[in-house]
Amino acid sequence: MAGYLLRRVLQMILVVFLSAMASYAILNFAPGGPLAGLRQQAQTGRNRITEEDIQRIRAYFELDLYLPIRFSRWFLGLPRGPIVIAGTEFFANTPIGCSKEVEGVYKDSKGNFQTKVIGCAEKVYLTSLVARRTSNGVIRGDFGNSWRLNRDRPVSDLLWSRLPKTILLVGIATLLSLGLAIPLGIYSAVHQYSKFDYFFTSFAFAGASMPTFFFGIMMIMLFSIVFRNMGLPYLPPGSASAVRDWTMPWFGTVTAESTLDRALHLILPVAVLTFISVAGWSRFVRSSMLEVLRQDYIRTARAKGLTEKVVINRHALRNALIPFTTLAVFTLPALFAGAIITETIFSWPGMGRLYFLALGDYDYPVAMSILFIIAILTVIATLIRDILYTVLDPRIRYT
Amino acid sequence: MTDETKVATLSAEAITAEEQTPFQLVMRRFRKHRMAMFSLVLIGIIFFISLFAKQLSPFEVDELMVGKYFAPWGNVDQETGRVHYMGTDNIGRDYFSRLIHAGRISLTIAVSAVLISSVVGMAVGAYAGFYGGTIDSVISRFIEFLLTIPTLPLLLILSSMLIRNEDLIPIPAPILYGAGKLMLLSPYQARQGVLIILIFAGLGWLESAQLMRGTTLQLREQTFIEASKSLGASDMQIIFNHMIPNSMAPIIVSASLALGGYIVFEAALSFLGFGIQDPIPTWGNMLSATQQFMLDKPWLPLVPGLPIFICALAFNYVGDGLRDALDPRLKK
Repeated sequence: MAGYLLRRVLQMILVVFLSAMASYAILNFAPGGPLAGLRQQAQTGRNRITEEDIQRIRAYFELDLYLPIRFSRWFLGLPRGPIVIAGTEFFANTPIGCSKEVEGVYKDSKGNFQTKVIGCAEKVYLTSLVARRTSNGVIRGDFGNSWRLNRDRPVSDLLWSRLPKTILLVGIATLLSLGLAIPLGIYSAVHQYSKFDYFFTSFAFAGASMPTFFFGIMMIMLFSIVFRNMGLPYLPPGSASAVRDWTMPWFGTVTAESTLDRALHLILPVAVLTFISVAGWSRFVRSSMLEVLRQDYIRTARAKGLTEKVVINRHALRNALIPFTTLAVFTLPALFAGAIITETIFSWPGMGRLYFLALGDYDYPVAMSILFIIAILTVIATLIRDILYTVLDPRIRYT
Repeated sequence: MTDETKVATLSAEAITAEEQTPFQLVMRRFRKHRMAMFSLVLIGIIFFISLFAKQLSPFEVDELMVGKYFAPWGNVDQETGRVHYMGTDNIGRDYFSRLIHAGRISLTIAVSAVLISSVVGMAVGAYAGFYGGTIDSVISRFIEFLLTIPTLPLLLILSSMLIRNEDLIPIPAPILYGAGKLMLLSPYQARQGVLIILIFAGLGWLESAQLMRGTTLQLREQTFIEASKSLGASDMQIIFNHMIPNSMAPIIVSASLALGGYIVFEAALSFLGFGIQDPIPTWGNMLSATQQFMLDKPWLPLVPGLPIFICALAFNYVGDGLRDALDPRLKK
C-alpha cells in the first residue's frame, strides 16, 4: 500500500506539472494574444501607439521573454535575476528574450503581404529581471495579477472573494442532492416495476437530459416573472442578495442583505442544481442497487430469514453505494469550480461566473488559475476515490 | 389422406423458427422500447425539416422586416404574402426560418463531431488495445485524466480562444466550403461551426477510444482471434474484420448518446456567448437573446429552448433503446 501511494503521489506531481503546462500553453499558443488589438490600433492615425509603448506593454505581459523562461517564471517564480553565489553573479548577460523585434514583410504564395519576425534589435538579459515584479510562482500559490477584472490585484484575492459563495451554493445543492438521490434511487430499485418506479425512471430520464440553462430560464420564468405578474409571492431571479429592500406579496418587506433575503436568493439556483444532479445520481444509485439485489449474497441473506429491512439496509445498500462514491468524490472539483451555467444564469457571484467573466474579458491569468486548480482538485479526487475503494471494498487491493 | 399432409406441413412450419439476421433481431428488440421508437420518429422528422430547411423556410435567416418587431404567430407579410409562422424576433427576423436553420447547423455540428470522434477514437483505441505496451499505458492514463476533468470549463476555454481568433486559424478552403454547404452558410460564416466541430471532436474521441480499447483487450485473448492469426491474417485484417465489427455495439450506443450531448453542449456554448455568434442562428444564441425580453414576454424562451430539450431527450431515448437492443446484457 505504501509503495502504491508513493507511486500515485509521484504520478500526481507529474500530472499536475503537465496540466500546468497545458493550461499555460492553451493561453499562450492561441493566435492573437493580448497584443493583437494593439497592433490594429497602431495602424490607425489617432492616438498612435509608439514603438516604446508596445515595448513597455510587451514587458508588462512578459511577452518579451522566451516561452520556457516565461513558463518557468509563471510556474516556479524563477528566474528572478542572475544567480548569485558568494557575491558573484553568474549568467548575468545570458539573453532570455527580445524586447524589440525586427519585422520583415514578405509576399506569400497567394501574393498577400505578411509580416514575420526576422531578428532582434534589443535583447533582454537576465540582469534586467531584477527590476521586474515577479510572482512567487503558481507552485507556491501565487497566481499573479489579474489583467482586467480586478486590474493589478492578485488573482488569489478574486478567488478568495468568490470561493465562499460557490461553496455555499454548490455545498447546499450537493447535500440536498445526496439526501434525495440515494433514498429515491433505492426505493425505486427495491420497488422495481411498481408505479412509482415507472414514474420515477421517466422523470429521472427527462431530468438527466434537461439542459441546465434551459431549466434555469424556465425556473426564472415561472417563479420570478409569472408569479410576480400574477401577484403571488415570487423569488428573486438573480444575484446573491438584494441591493435595496423589496416587498414580497403576502409576506411583506424583505430587508436587503438580511438572512431571509440571502436565503430567498439561494432557493432558485439551489433548486436547479439539485434537480439536475438528483436526476443523474438517483438513476445511478438505482441501477447499482438493482445490480446488487441480483447477487447471491442477497439471496443468502434472505434465505437466512433476515427481515427485508436488514437485507436492504445492511447487505444491499452498503455494496450499492460503493460505485456511487466515485460520483460523490468528484463533487470536490465541482465545489471549487462552481456551476458555470447556473451561476451565470442567476448572476451568482461565485467561481463559475468568475471563470465565465474572465474568459469574456480576456483575463487569462484568472481563467488559467481556475482551470489549473480544477485540474489539481480532480487529481486529488481521483486519489481519494481509489483509496476509498480499498476501505469500502476489501476485495480491492493495490500493490 | 389430404388431412394428414396438411397436419404435417403445419407442424413443420410451426417448429422451425424464422431465420433472422442480426439486424432484424436488433430492430425487433428496439421496437419494443416504445419511447425509443417514438423518439426515432421524432428525430426523423427533425432531420427531414433540417434537410429541407432552405425550401421550408419562408424567409431568409437574416431578412429584417423593418418595423415588425415581435410580430405575433401567424402574422402575414402584406407585400409578399409570406407567413411568419412563429412571429418575428426583436429586430424583425422570422423566428420559424431561423429555428429550422439553427436546427440544420446544430445537427450538422453534432453529426460531424460524432463521426470524426468515433473514427479517431476507434483508431487510437484499437491501436492501444491491440499492441499494448508503454504507448497503451501512456494513452490510457492520458484519456483517463482528461475524462475526469469537468468538461464545461475545458470546452469554454477552448472555444473562447478559438472563436475569438477565428480569422487567424488556417482552415483549408474546401473544408469551409463543404461545411458551409452542409450548414447553409457562406464559407466565411462556416468557420465558427468548423471550429466547434474540431473542439467537440478533440474532446469526444476520448470516450470512444476507451470503449474500443476495452473491447480490443477483451477480444485479443479470444480463440477466434488466435484462429485467424494462425490462418495468417495480418494485424490490419484482424483489426478490421474482427475487432471493429465486434466493438460496434457499444460505440454505436455511445455515439447516439453523444449526439444529444453535443447538441446540448453546442447550445450551451452559444448561450454563454463563446460559441456561434449572433447573425448565424443557433438555438443557444437565440435562447440567450430572448433572456432580456423575458419580463414582458415570459414564454419567449420556450421557442428556441424546447427544440434543444426535445432533441436531447430524443437522442437519449434512442441511445437507451439501442443499448437495450444491441446488448441485452447491459439492460437495466
